[in-house]
Amino acid sequence: MATNKIKVDALVVGGGISGMQTALDLADQGYQVALVEKEASIGGKMIALSKVFPTLDCCSCITTPKMSAVAHQENITLLTYCEVDHIKQNGKGFIVGATNKPRYVDMDLCTGCRQCEYVCPVDLKNPFDNNLGAIRAIRVPFSTAVPQKVVLDIDNCILCGKCQTACAVDAIDFTQQPEEIMIETDSILLATGFEVTPKDAKKEYGNGKLLNVIDGLDMERLLAPTGPYGHVLRPSDGKEPDSIAYVQCAGSRDETLGVEYCSRVCCMYAIKQAMLLSGALPLADITIYYMDIRAFGKGYEQFYQNAKAMGIQFIKGKVAKIKEDENQNPVFRVEMVDEGGSVVEHTHDLAVLSVGMLPSFDPTPIFNVPNDTDGFIMTPDQNFSASLTMIPGIFAAGAATGPMDIVDSIMTAGSAASAASAYIKSQQNGKEESSSKIADLQKESQHA
Amino acid sequence: MSDKQTKKEKMQILKELREQYADSVAKTQAHLKEQQSARRLLKKAMKTGPMTVPEIAEAVNLPSDEVLWHIVAMKKYDLVTEVGQDGEYYKYALPVKEKKS
Repeated sequence: MATNKIKVDALVVGGGISGMQTALDLADQGYQVALVEKEASIGGKMIALSKVFPTLDCCSCITTPKMSAVAHQENITLLTYCEVDHIKQNGKGFIVGATNKPRYVDMDLCTGCRQCEYVCPVDLKNPFDNNLGAIRAIRVPFSTAVPQKVVLDIDNCILCGKCQTACAVDAIDFTQQPEEIMIETDSILLATGFEVTPKDAKKEYGNGKLLNVIDGLDMERLLAPTGPYGHVLRPSDGKEPDSIAYVQCAGSRDETLGVEYCSRVCCMYAIKQAMLLSGALPLADITIYYMDIRAFGKGYEQFYQNAKAMGIQFIKGKVAKIKEDENQNPVFRVEMVDEGGSVVEHTHDLAVLSVGMLPSFDPTPIFNVPNDTDGFIMTPDQNFSASLTMIPGIFAAGAATGPMDIVDSIMTAGSAASAASAYIKSQQNGKEESSSKIADLQKESQHA
Repeated sequence: MSDKQTKKEKMQILKELREQYADSVAKTQAHLKEQQSARRLLKKAMKTGPMTVPEIAEAVNLPSDEVLWHIVAMKKYDLVTEVGQDGEYYKYALPVKEKKS
């Protein structure tokens, strides 16, 4: 395996909104930054979303310029389709080993024209559309992908060579092998994001087997202009739903799933989606079944009140079970809290589970960066330095540290970049101010 | 580098890779066969004119969610076009072939 070596001031792991903002904040200060992203494009979860709350700005319109800025910032070395394998302490800094996975495409030659994608015979479920839409075995991951280059899914390819014949610049290269990269860095910033509760987590809600029970991220794709169907349709038969219902706390505040925390974003994304649905399907009835609405941020409560004024129905009740009728309509069994706890059955066309946020990446197998009891990366000084981890020189940003929305993710990204900048400076000037604070915190936690 | 590979070398590389990835190639070939057979049925049914997903599903005797997925896949690569709405369902048609002048 060929090995490339690079030396940087900071390594950012994760190319979602937090990682991109962290990398840009450091690179704009003149630091050399490497950004490692496991997917073939940067953009993370945010680029797949429809609009942001509470401003209802288009997600793609906000994220795409950031992605572009990362690609064009000369102080950032962008490593996509690349995964971190191991981290070793190297004095006060680190040596990080990563693997660049083969795309089977020459990145210098590919122009992103997608001729190969058009001739590829294999249609697959599109992971970018949460498997609702389709994509070819060789493809540009999505329309605004950065880099705008194709990637070949070798595990779902019949190796017919049609892409090679179609490529005008001879960019398809089946001889590519994984490439090892050694990154020497003074600091590491973990911006590894989150996953959502799997749809099959709760057997009460159909175990992931009911076609018309989707989750919040599925609905984001249905509402996005680049979505799989081009309209909001239900997956079982392409019907335009006339009645859509949200189940709040479907994966958070739930001891049976081991997720006792509130995921902080579900109330707001459900309200936002309900508002967008009111626009897309003006005649549809939209119901949100909730335990309590947590609209904590700036302008969020007003947003919630606006949704109520728009006619979105909020029912305080706990959905105990979802089954389906003979037309695959989800049938809810609900305990109506505000109606004396009576149990009723309501039938809708489409159900949306407001699933919660789960940790996405456990760094402990490759380096001992301790996790908190909730599985997210431990940030011991939440009050004053929320981006410090237990390891001097390693910082964390965004939803890698716990559930948070886009606004907070961007804010913690700035905070992590600022803390890392101070650390890098102190290391390069031979001082040890930043690390002594961590040492104090580590001692405190050992004595606790 | 790929630009140094001759056509013969490229074919040899693909042949070797097909042996290396024999299991996944066989699995994908089975998937492709199923896909092509469904698409043939869909195209035949749609020759009668624009149809909704449940109408196509009934005509080809396939589950409507599978038909929707095929329609979505074909629409993405311009093999099907959306032509208006019939009640709660959108209608889809095969694209009109341009006549050679």
